[in-house]
Amino acid sequence: MTAATVLPGQPGTPGGGPAGVRRNFWRGVGRVLRRKPSRLAGVAILVMFALMAIFGPIVYPAVLPRDDDALYAPPSLAHPFGTDFEGTDVLALVVTGARYVILTGVVTAVITVALGTALGLVAGFHRGRWDAALMRLTDLQLTIPGLPLLLVLSTIWKFDGPLEMGLVLGLLGWGGIARAVRSQTLSLRERGFIEAARGLGLSTTHIVVRELLPSMAPYIAMNVLIAVTGAIYAQVGLFFLGVLPFESNNWGVMLNLAVFGGGALTSAAALPYLLAPLLAILLLTLGIVLVVDAMDEIFNPRLREE
Amino acid sequence: MISGTGVTKTYRQRGAMLGARDVQALRGIDFTVPRGGAVSFIGESGCGKTTLGRIVAGLETYDSGDIVIDGTSMAPLHPRRRRRHFRRVQLVHQDPYSALNPTRTVHQTLLAPLALRARHTGRSRAWAAGRAEELLALVGIDPGYVLGRYPHQLSGGMRQRVVIARALTVDPEMLVADESVSMIDVSMRLSVLSLLKDLRERLGVSVLFITHDIATARYIGGGSELYVLYRGQVVERGPTEDVIAGPVHPYTQSLLSAIPVLHGMEVPGPERVVPTEALDAAVEDTGCLFAARCPFRTELCTAERPELTGDAHRHACVHPHRRAVIPREAA
Amino acid sequence: MTIDPDPAAAPGPHAAPGVRVRDLTVVYRTPLGELPALHGVSLAIEPGTITGLVGESGSGKSTLALSLLNAVQPPGRIAAGQVEIDGLGDVTRLGGEELRRARGRHLGYVFQAAQNSLNPLKTVGKQLLDLGRSHGVADPAALVHDARLLLDRMGLPGARVLDSCQHELSGGMRQRVGIMFALVLNAHLVILDEPTTALDMITQAAILRIIREIHKERGLTTLIVTHDIGVAAEVTDRLAVMYGGRVVEHGPTTEVLGDPGHPYTQGLIRAIPRLSGDIDAARALPGRPPTLGTVPVDGCVFRERCPRRMDVCETGEPPVAWLGDRTVACHAAGAAPREKEHA
Repeated sequence: MTAATVLPGQPGTPGGGPAGVRRNFWRGVGRVLRRKPSRLAGVAILVMFALMAIFGPIVYPAVLPRDDDALYAPPSLAHPFGTDFEGTDVLALVVTGARYVILTGVVTAVITVALGTALGLVAGFHRGRWDAALMRLTDLQLTIPGLPLLLVLSTIWKFDGPLEMGLVLGLLGWGGIARAVRSQTLSLRERGFIEAARGLGLSTTHIVVRELLPSMAPYIAMNVLIAVTGAIYAQVGLFFLGVLPFESNNWGVMLNLAVFGGGALTSAAALPYLLAPLLAILLLTLGIVLVVDAMDEIFNPRLREE
Repeated sequence: MISGTGVTKTYRQRGAMLGARDVQALRGIDFTVPRGGAVSFIGESGCGKTTLGRIVAGLETYDSGDIVIDGTSMAPLHPRRRRRHFRRVQLVHQDPYSALNPTRTVHQTLLAPLALRARHTGRSRAWAAGRAEELLALVGIDPGYVLGRYPHQLSGGMRQRVVIARALTVDPEMLVADESVSMIDVSMRLSVLSLLKDLRERLGVSVLFITHDIATARYIGGGSELYVLYRGQVVERGPTEDVIAGPVHPYTQSLLSAIPVLHGMEVPGPERVVPTEALDAAVEDTGCLFAARCPFRTELCTAERPELTGDAHRHACVHPHRRAVIPREAA
Repeated sequence: MTIDPDPAAAPGPHAAPGVRVRDLTVVYRTPLGELPALHGVSLAIEPGTITGLVGESGSGKSTLALSLLNAVQPPGRIAAGQVEIDGLGDVTRLGGEELRRARGRHLGYVFQAAQNSLNPLKTVGKQLLDLGRSHGVADPAALVHDARLLLDRMGLPGARVLDSCQHELSGGMRQRVGIMFALVLNAHLVILDEPTTALDMITQAAILRIIREIHKERGLTTLIVTHDIGVAAEVTDRLAVMYGGRVVEHGPTTEVLGDPGHPYTQGLIRAIPRLSGDIDAARALPGRPPTLGTVPVDGCVFRERCPRRMDVCETGEPPVAWLGDRTVACHAAGAAPREKEHA
């Protein structure tokens, strides 16, 4: 009988336990990242900004030193990106400003993705009345015009910290992910393995968390990163427009001051002051784009191990 | 034992051009699968065989009739209370590629239902891990080889064995195998079929085998019964070997005649018929459902719908006639 | 076998062409380097025959079929060898515009899952006119006329099908539409890749009957790629059995099936579930077919599953031996008495 004969094994069998699986996962992640140098560069950029956000405000003094003799100084060894209108080092401004920008991005991403994924999953998995109600709510959210609302909100609320800022941006941004996660859920729930899990009597929590979510992980992870970029643009934009409270080391405020105060568009003196925050935004976005490229391969075991 | 009486199911189909139309997927099906027994349902796509399999596995509801699982009738039970009973019937999907979660290893796939059982029965997690290895060995694969692997690292045949092992984690009464070998390489199909046969003999698991490839129905083991389904109605039913060797209903004869002859090894059956294809939507009329396509129809056929009659080998035909349509061994 | 519609015509585009594949090697680029999907395949397809190309997944049968059109897609490429088709020359040297014209006019290809290869948004008729335009057909009305005749010939209401979209047609109807597209530009070499996969038995029988009849009526050379020996047995004159990127046996269908010479063919035939005969005589082949990465580099590709393996199988590529009208690539073929396929 066939069943009695056991098919031969192969040397070097990977570990079977959950710990082994996790270890293999991280080894796979390393392999995927090493596959293209651009991905490693992306990771390096993101790590650099993370370090800036964490340690930047610790390394520099709370009030950055001014040099009244060197207003709008050109780039030099002491000031690689020159100085601003008060003679403060631009690089220091960018580094200390990173925390606000990145913290906002992260908070926004966490809120959009958590809300969007949860609502999308519930709507797609339960269908019926829940689905209809949640999707109406989602449509409602999607129709809210974000920027005008923010402008109005800023007149009554001062957005004191990155947390408040992220909260508002997050609450305005989860609709797209909810819709996308719902449609993914709808198609995945018809798959054989989900049906089998239900047939075996596994709990809904198990099915949603262990079976559905991992299949959507690349998608969700990609959305996290895209949401971060979106949030950074949105807040920098708001500060640039000058509708939010002034803070000299905020990237958006720096842009505003460089353009409207320094006349960076007409004279060369304030150019480094304008370019430094732009460069920071560009680098951060680039880092995210380079890492997004690897998401599909990281979460798909087939692509991960090839 | 698992049986059904008068199981019906109607789908409301909405077509852009057709408007709403009711499609009767099952028109009162009776069946019995004894413990350790095997029953095959054959027919074209759309005949209702897959719907029946999904209903028996509890993945779909039915409109009327009753299904009895291990002596418990489902009819009076609230749908929530039926679940526990339907768990005794496990579906083995056609596609072993989508039946396993691509992001989970074989170990994770098997351990989830086993851990649940361990919790319910007060056993340890070590028991669950041990049981996973036992089940893999039972379906003929080396646990050391597959446990840590992802589905994409396994061949189609191995995946289907893992699917069967997963179904066995709940000690089912019956497996519903819906076209379970059609996506497996030809040279390995028989090994999966003989695994099903083996499970019948060793564990007393019964098998509801659904296929369009009638020849495979011969390989799920002795004492099996064959049901021929046409547009939701059983038109012929009997011992597998008997129905294949001497089909009585012209539809069964058409199906069997359509199977390619292995020229050089076989010669065509002397009474092989030329089957008629269904190219247009079927019309709903009062007579025999197959009449429009039947090469042997008479006026009698359209008058009244024939019922299933006979003893061991039953048929629903106004003009029953045994015909030798299957190929014979070449001399 | 050939029934040429115009016997007076010299060998040219309107006669069934012959095909000669010589030492064809096709490699695929993988992270492990370039791996051969076809390894020095030689195969002669005689004009006017229906040849079946049979093999399991990974045998290289689809790659071989694509090579006949020089349509192997990257990361694959034809690394060596020739494909010579009467009236076209060596296809592996054709490129660009020449190749595009040859496809359709000389070579008709019915894709795997032709049921789903139609544009879902356009009617069949519109897609037909697109095809005509891209091949510079001067008289679109005549093209539509030919298409309708072909569809009528296959038992479909031609005019209505031309006005239909994919979703309005059944699987069997779509397969016929696929065949129509392959033939409507008057190609005389037709390749059908898994023409009946996912079709019902009765529809499959009808499609196979149509393939055989049209093959005769139009005087074609037909190649059918399939994993199903039954399909090949039903319609083909000759059968080429593929395994691990090689043609292991090739000859008249009745001979190959009636007295298989290669141990793989023998095993494959024994593994087919049959309608008659002793159930216990059937048995699965042990092991699994090789994939690109697991094909042995040296020696016979089938040896790991072979009941008649010898020492020489480990090292030497089996020579191609002629057995009458047949070629068999096996060290044991001819050397040992063949056991007849079950008593």
